Amino acid sequence: MISVGIDSGSATTKAVLVIDGQMITRNIRPTGFDFLSAAKSVCEDVLSNAGIDKKDVTGIYATGYGRNSIKFADRAVSEITAHTMGVYYLYPAVNGIIDIGGQDSKIISVNDGRVTDFLMNDKCAAGTGKFLEYTAKALEVPIEELGNLALVSKEPASITSMCTVFAESEVISLRARGFKKEDIAAGLIESIARRVAVMVRQVGLKQNVAFVGGVAKNAGIKVFLEKELGISLYVPPEPQVTGALGAALYGIGKNSIV
Amino acid sequence: MENDLIYFITKHFVERMTHFKTLEYIKNSYSSRICQLTEEKKAGKKIVGTLCLFVPDEIIFAADADRVILCGGKNDTISIAEQYLPRNICPLVKSSFGSVVNNGRSGVKSCSHFGLVDIVVAENTCDSKKKMYELLGDYVPTYVLDLPQKPDSLAAVKYFLEELNKFKGVMEQLTGNKVTVEQLKKEIISSNETRKLLHRLYDLRKTDSPPISGVDVIKVMQKQYVLSAEDFKKALRSLIDEAEKIKADFKTDFTRKPRIMISGCPMPGGNTKVPEIIENRGGIIVVEESCTGTRSFWDLVDESKDPMTALAERYIKIPCSCMTPNDRRIDNILELAREFKVDGVVNYTLQFCHGYNIERYKVQQALRNAGIPVLSIETDYSDSDVEQIGLRVDAFMEMLS
Repeated sequence: MISVGIDSGSATTKAVLVIDGQMITRNIRPTGFDFLSAAKSVCEDVLSNAGIDKKDVTGIYATGYGRNSIKFADRAVSEITAHTMGVYYLYPAVNGIIDIGGQDSKIISVNDGRVTDFLMNDKCAAGTGKFLEYTAKALEVPIEELGNLALVSKEPASITSMCTVFAESEVISLRARGFKKEDIAAGLIESIARRVAVMVRQVGLKQNVAFVGGVAKNAGIKVFLEKELGISLYVPPEPQVTGALGAALYGIGKNSIV
Repeated sequence: MENDLIYFITKHFVERMTHFKTLEYIKNSYSSRICQLTEEKKAGKKIVGTLCLFVPDEIIFAADADRVILCGGKNDTISIAEQYLPRNICPLVKSSFGSVVNNGRSGVKSCSHFGLVDIVVAENTCDSKKKMYELLGDYVPTYVLDLPQKPDSLAAVKYFLEELNKFKGVMEQLTGNKVTVEQLKKEIISSNETRKLLHRLYDLRKTDSPPISGVDVIKVMQKQYVLSAEDFKKALRSLIDEAEKIKADFKTDFTRKPRIMISGCPMPGGNTKVPEIIENRGGIIVVEESCTGTRSFWDLVDESKDPMTALAERYIKIPCSCMTPNDRRIDNILELAREFKVDGVVNYTLQFCHGYNIERYKVQQALRNAGIPVLSIETDYSDSDVEQIGLRVDAFMEMLS
């Protein structure tokens, strides 16, 4: 059985090819303006990577913000269910998931591979990848380096604004006051870690917690988040594709019932 | 395929639920109500505007006045209100104030009945309303009914009774009619009839296959205080007749859809955003713990007691989040969840509604302890978050099924 999972996110579109329950290949592309064409491209990528003909595919399953615009998909599933299935496949002991994506963050409580509760950030960029993207720009640091830069800091600056726009001006005023780059970077990451930790405590995640989504690739954030929560986090080798992986697995699950 | 079957059933189910003639009548009843109010006003009858369940209809009707609700559910009038009120107060307060202030002046369409009221009978519930009423007085005569906010004491009932007596005096002065014990008793019986009819309608929703969607019921409930009491009662009777026939005709069991209770802030006319998202994404709302739901009719007024005392006792017990402690609401939510066999609760709050937003914690705790999943949604009247809410609702439905 061959299935493709597509995670149509606000920043990137991910596809995963699963054959007989095994993840074979994956691809990631920037979403750009057109959700549908990005989805088509990543889908074609994974099929050609594996040398699979489209007509041999059992099903295509979409998740992510653009999931309902992927007209060629057989079915859509929410990111919350998709991430849970994807992480459960990689890490069956999982009891909780922290997913920080481009425009939202999600905290999911999991029991035996099933969602039991979840919480998402309010309709605002606080505690998301966007927050880091904007503030990194104000710091004149490429986003990929923000985490490692923060790890160098001995005295993180205090960033109190949750609002992305206000935090950006806060960064500029800290720069003007002569704060070190790494201290501001650490302050930013600490503030996002604190924000996410509040949500984690609201849902009551305690152990076996996985950290996924594009932001999980950032080593610094993992360290700060672990410090804030007092637990160690499991980060899958490719934390960005767990949603797409879960969507592909979700499809198989549904078909096997029928 | 199982999926196709579900699709067929869902489609059939939705079509089946839109066949109510009474809903068409209710949907189109607004303009005839405006004519009715205009005629009444011409004939010298006084029109009272209210914004809350705590103001007893019975006293208004016993003085031979008519009443119409002024709670705003429309997004359009909010920007008008923001010329006067802070941005960070709840959309219901802003929308209501905007409609009164606007009154056809700015080209934004707002409900014409706002311009027909002779007096607003307001109430001391939340801070935003209380302070908004101070501004409202500049546009339309406004009388504020005071509410004791620790309702579980004899002193509170006694104080509220005094307040209701003062309010009765205001109605007598406004209309020139004496409010007699006989009139009050008659109005209590009549309002109880409406409450009993609503209980019958809600009883139909307790079945495994509710004959009417939650969105439809909410649209009916939104008209409860817009229509005249008599017209609303008539509409309810015919709706129940129709719904009971459907129930009898229909044998198949549709237990697949997650049964949802929506609990929290009021949903005034013009605002069905969240209920629509829930039902468009596979849930069926079977009960609303809301002012636009059970809080408006759940308890009857005792017909055997002195009417004013009976009114004070019944109305002060409405489980609004402005009251403290408000454990009655939590108990009521648990009781409704059992009676209506609810699979999950959507805790619905409006932004900046501190009362219901703070109570969310207690509601969540109580439901979790009872093993009932909860999804909390905090929103406003704009459509900007429809997709975000949709995602949460999708995930919640997947979690429940």
